[in-house]
Amino acid sequence: VKRPRTALLAAAGIGVVMAVLVVVLVVADPATERRSESPLVGKPAPELAGAQVDDTRPSYDLAATDGRFTLVNFFATWCFPCKVEHPELVRFAEEYDGAVDVVSVAMDGAEPARAFFDERGGDWPVVDDDDGAISIRWGVLAPPESFLVAPDGTVLSKITGGVTFGGLENLLARVTGG
Amino acid sequence: MRRLVWALLAVVVAGALWYGTTDRDERTASERADDIAADLRCPFCRSESVRDSQADVAQNMRAEIARRIADGESDDEIVDALVASYGETIVMTPSGSGTASLVWVLPVAALVGGLAALAFAFRRWRST
Repeated sequence: VKRPRTALLAAAGIGVVMAVLVVVLVVADPATERRSESPLVGKPAPELAGAQVDDTRPSYDLAATDGRFTLVNFFATWCFPCKVEHPELVRFAEEYDGAVDVVSVAMDGAEPARAFFDERGGDWPVVDDDDGAISIRWGVLAPPESFLVAPDGTVLSKITGGVTFGGLENLLARVTGG
Repeated sequence: MRRLVWALLAVVVAGALWYGTTDRDERTASERADDIAADLRCPFCRSESVRDSQADVAQNMRAEIARRIADGESDDEIVDALVASYGETIVMTPSGSGTASLVWVLPVAALVGGLAALAFAFRRWRST
């Protein structure tokens, strides 16, 4: 009499575990849609220093530009969303001139980046990262990605994908409590 | 003669202990870079290691590993630097501490629990 009862209990236990697993799999986000926060957020910004793609300009060093917010934008000239976001960056840089510095990091070489800016406008520092060292330090996966850095050098936020003027305004308002 | 044998034995034991406990890394820089890259997951493609992936980010990570090896950094320092940028998820082998340690603890706990349940069930069946 007891043997079937034990078997029934074991089967019920396995059934419960299976049911919990099914619920977890149904409710959880698909792995492809999950977006993780950057481990850099809340920490001091990694080093960002180097020659600019326009060699008539002096070398850039993020550490030397304290006192203002800085938007660090990683882009490549072959990347379509980078082309789409560029006019938004130009507008943001113009309207927030003096309050927020913009710096771009060119991920595919100085010459294409120079041509990109000549064609599309934008008058801010563009650092050459042809060897990928800066992108790796900043944990960049694929362009475009942007980071908002506080005046004290802390990384406040990471934006994956293209930015918009409105999105940047909202982000700035959120971090400044405005 | 016997003393000589003992002395020889002591030398052999001491030598074996020294050899066994000395940290010798005889790998070339390229082998070290390969080993480190094999232990890291490509953060963009996920299913491949940094060593095997052809994604841009994996290629850049391999170059960064080579640069850091040339700068004299240890394997742990290099992995720590990349984890600081990309997060713990790029490490192929889960950490033995924090929540990730559950990956190691849970299977063992399940095995022990299962064996205990089986032993309990067999004993009850035998007694009936």
